[in-house]
Amino acid sequence: MNKAATPKQLGRLAAGGLVDRGQPLSFSFDGRSLEGYAGDTLASALVANQVRLVGRSFKYHRPRGLLSAGGEEPNALVELRGGARREPNTRATVAELFDGLEAVSQNRWPSLRFDVLAANRLLGPLFAAGFYYKTFMWPAAFWEKVYEPLIRRAAGLGRIATGPDPDTYEKAFAFCDVLVVGSGPAGLMAALSAARAGARVLLAEDDFRFGGRLLAERRPVGDRPGHVWADEVVAELKSMPNVRLLRRTCVFASYDHGVFAAVERVNDHLATPPEFEPRQRLWRIVSRRAVVAAGAIERPLLFGDNDRPGVMLAGAARAYANRYAALAGRRVVVSTDNDDAWTTAFDLAAAGATIAAVVDSRESPPVSAGAGLPWMSGAVVRALGGRSLEAVDVRTAQGGAHRIDCDLLAMSGGWTPTLHLTSHQGARPRWDERLAAFVADQLPSGMAVAGAANGERSTAEALAAGARAGMAAVEAVGLRARAADLPSVPPEPTAQRALWRMSGSAGKSFVDFQNDVTTSDIELAEREGYRSPEHMKRYTTLGMATDQGKTAGVNGLALLAERAGQPIGRIGTTTFRAPFAPVAIGALAGPHCGAEFKPVRLPAAHRWAVEQGAVLVETGAWLRAAYFPRSGEKDWLEAMTREVTTTRSAVGVCDVSTLGKIDLQGGDAAEFLERLYVNGWKTLAIGRARYGLMLREDGIVMDDGTVSRLGEQRYLVTTTTANAGSVFQHMQFCHQVLWPELDVQFVSVSDQWAQFSIAGPRARDLLRAVVDSRHDLSSEAFPYMAAADVRLADGTRARLFRISFSGEFAYELAVPAAAGERTVRWLMQAGAALGVAAYGLEALGTMRIEKGHVAGNELNGQTTAYDLGLGRMLSASKDFIGAVMARRGALTDPGRPRLVGLAPVDRAARIGAGAHFVAAGASPTAANDQGFMTSAAFSPTLGHWIGLGLLAGGPERLGEQVLAVDLLRARSTLVEVRAPVFVDPAGDRLRV
Amino acid sequence: MSDIVTGVLAAGRTGRTGGAPGLVVREVLGLRTASLVARRGAATRLSDATLAAFGAALPSTPRVAVGRGATFIWTGPAQWLVEASSGRDDIEALLAAPCSAFAAIAEQSDSRVTLEVEGPRVRDVLAKGLPIDLHPAAFRSGDVAVTAVAHVGVYLWQLSDAPSYRLAVVRSFFGSFWHWLISSAAEYGCEVEAPEHRGQSVR
Repeated sequence: MNKAATPKQLGRLAAGGLVDRGQPLSFSFDGRSLEGYAGDTLASALVANQVRLVGRSFKYHRPRGLLSAGGEEPNALVELRGGARREPNTRATVAELFDGLEAVSQNRWPSLRFDVLAANRLLGPLFAAGFYYKTFMWPAAFWEKVYEPLIRRAAGLGRIATGPDPDTYEKAFAFCDVLVVGSGPAGLMAALSAARAGARVLLAEDDFRFGGRLLAERRPVGDRPGHVWADEVVAELKSMPNVRLLRRTCVFASYDHGVFAAVERVNDHLATPPEFEPRQRLWRIVSRRAVVAAGAIERPLLFGDNDRPGVMLAGAARAYANRYAALAGRRVVVSTDNDDAWTTAFDLAAAGATIAAVVDSRESPPVSAGAGLPWMSGAVVRALGGRSLEAVDVRTAQGGAHRIDCDLLAMSGGWTPTLHLTSHQGARPRWDERLAAFVADQLPSGMAVAGAANGERSTAEALAAGARAGMAAVEAVGLRARAADLPSVPPEPTAQRALWRMSGSAGKSFVDFQNDVTTSDIELAEREGYRSPEHMKRYTTLGMATDQGKTAGVNGLALLAERAGQPIGRIGTTTFRAPFAPVAIGALAGPHCGAEFKPVRLPAAHRWAVEQGAVLVETGAWLRAAYFPRSGEKDWLEAMTREVTTTRSAVGVCDVSTLGKIDLQGGDAAEFLERLYVNGWKTLAIGRARYGLMLREDGIVMDDGTVSRLGEQRYLVTTTTANAGSVFQHMQFCHQVLWPELDVQFVSVSDQWAQFSIAGPRARDLLRAVVDSRHDLSSEAFPYMAAADVRLADGTRARLFRISFSGEFAYELAVPAAAGERTVRWLMQAGAALGVAAYGLEALGTMRIEKGHVAGNELNGQTTAYDLGLGRMLSASKDFIGAVMARRGALTDPGRPRLVGLAPVDRAARIGAGAHFVAAGASPTAANDQGFMTSAAFSPTLGHWIGLGLLAGGPERLGEQVLAVDLLRARSTLVEVRAPVFVDPAGDRLRV
Repeated sequence: MSDIVTGVLAAGRTGRTGGAPGLVVREVLGLRTASLVARRGAATRLSDATLAAFGAALPSTPRVAVGRGATFIWTGPAQWLVEASSGRDDIEALLAAPCSAFAAIAEQSDSRVTLEVEGPRVRDVLAKGLPIDLHPAAFRSGDVAVTAVAHVGVYLWQLSDAPSYRLAVVRSFFGSFWHWLISSAAEYGCEVEAPEHRGQSVR
């Protein structure tokens, strides 16, 4: 930016403050080039440049200025940065200034100074509480097409970036004995006391500088400026290896067992994060004890047009002057119901401002006040001016009316303890009349509150409370604490007599600045019966904006209490929920986005499949080859057809490593299987495999697979890919809970073995080339359903199974996963002379449908063994899981949808899974539904489409024709009901 | 998702360059491992057997016990992962003689990819995904955690006070895990060392 064009910082004091005048920073606001200093926030730099108008309000588009100097800010929401990094709704008060920062105001069109939609103000009555529910109800058709788009445009809170976020985010876990939230006087003393006792301390501070309120005050601590004392404490903490200091870190949620969530804005203070560094980091903090020293938030006063730019919280005006050396106004009125705002009057006077008057709603000011400052007992009843404050009207206690010219009104309605973290687990705070504030009542286990967050308002009280909380925390974790020396602090008055509302006020009086909720909205809500704070909140939207009503909540509750004629303590608060402050979705996602959204499982031969040009498909967490297209093949259908034809005529190789594999051993292993599966296992010989079916307790099929007996007391259980995890869990449950008396041991060996199906009439020839020649592979020596440990010709230890999913003459060969890739390469090389083809999931699926084998589509959590034609497998001579329930009448009703095969009557027609069956000629309605197609494929063997389906009474209807209605694909096809096994029903191929 | 599969990690520096790397990582190849699960009620006799055969009693808490020729890593109640110190061919056979009467033994050499990690920022890197406190007050040499890092199941145990750690990562998830590890270490700089072979490569 052109420095020459940058105006001087007219609102900046010549000296003092915690900004570095040696480090000027250029930035822009709505395209205007401005200059601030290192140590500024965007807000303080705007104050230093006398920019007062910073935004427009949400509903009425009223001009707004800065209300606060902290995270509670409701007005100054801006868009930061540009392009894919554009970030809406950022609070200017927490945005750290950096060189080149571009900020743009929101909610205005075409410009901040001239805003067309400010005409909404004239329509004020339309926008009263509940306006969503009233004004736009009629005519109903207008809501979606007219009203909502209009309201959205008018009320939009900034624009999100549309491109992918170029930055990265990460998560991290932290553990500590004592978590301290907040680094003001209470937090620093708590951290120091705990750290000196040797506890592992984590101190989290939302601000970019440690010190909290001490940074904003002139009051000395230990005879030196508060920030100097804070720096010394921080330096000591930094020197201790048992302390972790996290600044720019907002602890935004508390959970059971001392767990907290926090977001660290690691690099938000830079234009772009340095290479390899994240933009933000989400912390999960596990603490044994926690001290919440989160401070307090000042409340606005409620009077007419209290939202004029130039009306600011007194503590904020003081913070701008003391910390940032930026004067928010030259001629100041201070309006207060408490002692604290008098400090603002003194500090602003000391900074060179003229104090036109201090207006105190009480009869007399604090004892120490009055010295040289004009004051009156009364209240401000209206702010005057348009885009900037020009004067205030005051009504005195005696009834007099005064108009006082001013450009800054510093107001204070007292301080609300920031107790959100104490309430996130459901605890309700209690009202303290003396403090005129809600304070924490029952605290979550292990948590303490200290300082202003606990209503301990003076610096001295906060220091002492922090020290006490820190010591108590370390003693609770078994360490010995030493009483820390407390620094001396001059006395400060903190009395208050709450003034909830000025009588005689005129004009709109805002309670919730961000959502434009006024005192009359709350009155209306109460009048219309919304007397619970939760109802009032939802009806008026008070507290529902991005600031979650931090400055508005208590004022709103007090008004509601007053209207309802009840004490505020009985009205209570709304529920506090996380997050305390807005958290970017990116931070919550951390690194788990895009391709890393979730972990992916790769089979051992993944690299080989990729080299073969496999088209990959996600099946659960696995990435598997769907098919292996060759040049000239125009689609998956051609590739699949070739793979099936090659397998059925020669030999095919398929990676089936993803099946679940469980090594089961023990003296009671067979008995365990007997109870898990519907069929019997005691007759299974060593070296043999058997198909098994297991049910859920309710009689529905859970999973199927083969079990091979490898030794006297050793079995290998296989599961479907999809159910590998859940079957293992089921077995754990059965063993640990149901039958702990059984001597069984089982572990997953799914990742230990890579497994390949070798299928087709030449399968044995292919195996002969890789299996050690001393193994006899003849059907006499190694028949159908045989299983054995073997060696490959190169010495690799392997397991061989004569099992088939494809219906072909087939084997499955398992090798240790590290040998998987070289083994499949070897098989393909050795099979070249036999015409071998690799086949993928498409061909696998087609062949199992041709063979009528059920898979996930049929094992869908709704089918019984009876439905699937496997009812005869249910052993009558033993008990097993699901035995009783599976025999319920409703589960064995012949009219249930049961497994059949289907083929289109017109053999050229195509059918698809999901089509529903109705009787030929019936209309496709739910009432006529007779079941649905579970699987469909083009059968290269038969030359037409085939399917499997669940049809009411299906097995009794072979030869019938029904209509398969496929509403999704907009087609209806007449299909013939057939037995589900299309290829080799007698199983001759398996047994050659 | 990363296409990386085990055994082919490219050695070299990744992430921030200059200065010592915050994380040093190497894959350990050629290890023979097996799961050891005590038969019902036989945990004590099994421990006596390993003590006699290998000079190490089995830990009953999440600890590692180093014996002669075999290291026993607690992985659950009455369950251990056994690492043979030499890459001999058949770990099931090695364990069978002393243990088979008291335990189920299943080879797991290829079930997990084993990494060794160390370096001045190793705890900071692991904290980005490991929900376990590795502070010396909470986790010491010989301690074991059966846990998940960035949603991937791992066994982790501490080898030395340096500190250095062993991570056994479920093999099929290794690509995703590796991506997480390298990304998490990038800001501190990461040195990927050539794989270390323990014992002869066997088939």
